[in-house]
Amino acid sequence: MPQLRMTGRGLWITALIVPPLAFVALFIVYPIVSAFAYAFFDWQGLRRLDFVGLENFHTVLFVEPYRSWTINAFKNNVIVFFALMVLQNGLGFILAYALWRELPGARFHRIAVFLPVVLSTIIVAYLFKLFYHPLFGVVNITLKGIGLGWLAQPWLGQSGTALGSIIVAQAWHMVGFPTLVFLAGMQRIPGEILDAVRMETESEWVKITKIVWPLVAPSATIVFTLLFVGAFNWFELPYIMGGLDGSPFGSTDVLGLYFYRTAFGNVSAGQQDFGLGSALAVLIFIFIAIVAGVITTRLRAREIQL
Amino acid sequence: MARLSLRGIKKRFKTTDVLHGIDLEIGDREFVVFVGPSGCGKSTLLRLIAGLDPISDGDFFLNDQRMNDVAPSRRGIAMVFQSYALYPHMDVYENMAFGARLMGLSKDEVEKRIADAARMLRLDALLKRKPRELSGGQRQRVAIGRALVRKPDVFLLDEPLSNLDAALRSDVRLEIAKLHRDIGGTMIYVTHDQVEAMTLADKIVVMNSGRIEQVGSPRELYETPANTFVATFIGSPRMTLVDVARDGDRLGVANGGSVATGALPEIKNLKLGLRPDAVKLHRGQNSEGLAATVVYTEYLGDNAYVYARLADGTLLSARTTPNDLFAPDETVTVTVEPGSAHYFSAEDGRRLTP
Repeated sequence: MPQLRMTGRGLWITALIVPPLAFVALFIVYPIVSAFAYAFFDWQGLRRLDFVGLENFHTVLFVEPYRSWTINAFKNNVIVFFALMVLQNGLGFILAYALWRELPGARFHRIAVFLPVVLSTIIVAYLFKLFYHPLFGVVNITLKGIGLGWLAQPWLGQSGTALGSIIVAQAWHMVGFPTLVFLAGMQRIPGEILDAVRMETESEWVKITKIVWPLVAPSATIVFTLLFVGAFNWFELPYIMGGLDGSPFGSTDVLGLYFYRTAFGNVSAGQQDFGLGSALAVLIFIFIAIVAGVITTRLRAREIQL
Repeated sequence: MARLSLRGIKKRFKTTDVLHGIDLEIGDREFVVFVGPSGCGKSTLLRLIAGLDPISDGDFFLNDQRMNDVAPSRRGIAMVFQSYALYPHMDVYENMAFGARLMGLSKDEVEKRIADAARMLRLDALLKRKPRELSGGQRQRVAIGRALVRKPDVFLLDEPLSNLDAALRSDVRLEIAKLHRDIGGTMIYVTHDQVEAMTLADKIVVMNSGRIEQVGSPRELYETPANTFVATFIGSPRMTLVDVARDGDRLGVANGGSVATGALPEIKNLKLGLRPDAVKLHRGQNSEGLAATVVYTEYLGDNAYVYARLADGTLLSARTTPNDLFAPDETVTVTVEPGSAHYFSAEDGRRLTP
């Protein structure tokens, strides 16, 4: 019979591992598992009714008006993802390259670019709401001031511009993060490799596309995956700037808002439905998990050891 | 054809002067080695020639064309880096093809040049490998191959052997010498190892703290070093320098006897330079030479080096036959082969001729 006596070391390890494990189980694993469970029941307020199988999933995906709402929110998330890919990650890469090449003022800008990231989302949201104000917003006043008054418009008040305006606010807020990650990746490239490229070409374009970009692949993996997860979990900025209904006319509605509204209700929509909400949450979770998994494995494959 | 002409080259980093005016002419097909202790500015000078760092002052001409403001890739110069600097995401073929394609060569020409380089450097079997799958010596050959396919006028090699183990080092050294014979380009090679310099160079440039101390063939540097720095830097074990006073046709060491060395310069106080093969050791003490005490003996098989301390504290190295070993603390007398000693000024270390 093998001995199962607790040694002092084993006790220590147990004592250190059990509390955090319990915490994770209680506040992370349990909610996820219960959301999965809730999604298979019919709900009336907080009262659980019958087991309905895949009924809730069927409703949010195929029954009107939920179907159009789901499609609209999902479509907006896709727009957000691709727009931020360009505005946040694309710009972040360019900024990182400029900072890395030590262009004049690099020391100042290294801090300036990252500063908005540490601001609270609430502050950024209110700040940009003020910027976009149709009458006294700095955006419209500036446009009028430089003779482009015809471009001034209620940025957040019309469906054509609302989502884009919020995306710009998000990009401004978080562009420092991909910049930092890319910059760290670039600083890992050995100096002699860059010297070697300089001996062969003076074209910045060739240097970026053929050498720098392939060599910062690990940074790109991190940044792309996090952006994907972030874009499909997007909630705070549209909630504060566009409202819980994704106004105007659902043009800023995203899956996060839609889920929240469905599960917990709001003033205008009234009804709350845990079952449909949980079904949405489960669908979002599965979608993000699968796609993020694919992105990660695909991008990992092109990483190389420096 | 490649003639390089450096005229009054200076390099300043912020407030620190690294090079204080370098004048140097390098002829076509020459194998030139920049040698000196670390921090002497030899790598900096190489980077200025490559164009990787801007020249602060002075002019650099390549074939009579001023190159100061020409981009590195347009100078017709290729460089082999100390760390090889291979592109880690490209295989060997791509590493070599990258620069050649950027020169605008046709696909066939690129392929032909790579095939030639691969054959010359025995890389044929490795073309599809990534750099991390290669040994140090193989990476070294790829780095040279990458320079080769561009058919540059000038090859720059920055301490190319320093990352290789000792056995491989002498092999690659031979290969580089052979390569220079085969392709006949002008090569500039930086090293801190005087053995590499002596074995490879047509012309050695000895540098020290941002200045050129002497330029010459290995034989010139060894036989007629211009000053005490070059004298002690070239040759191993290093030349012993002894402060001596002239007394008639003999040179005396303070409280340590005197020695006759042949014809002497007309100066009272000077530094006597003795290479290990210029001195002879005799057991016991006598009045014919300098008194010394043996410190230790290095036995090397075909010969031996004996280190002995002179009366004024100078450590002297002497080459002896392996049959002629001396015990520590043994008292010996040092004599000098007539005509084989070097003389330097006691004030500024310049060479003095008898």
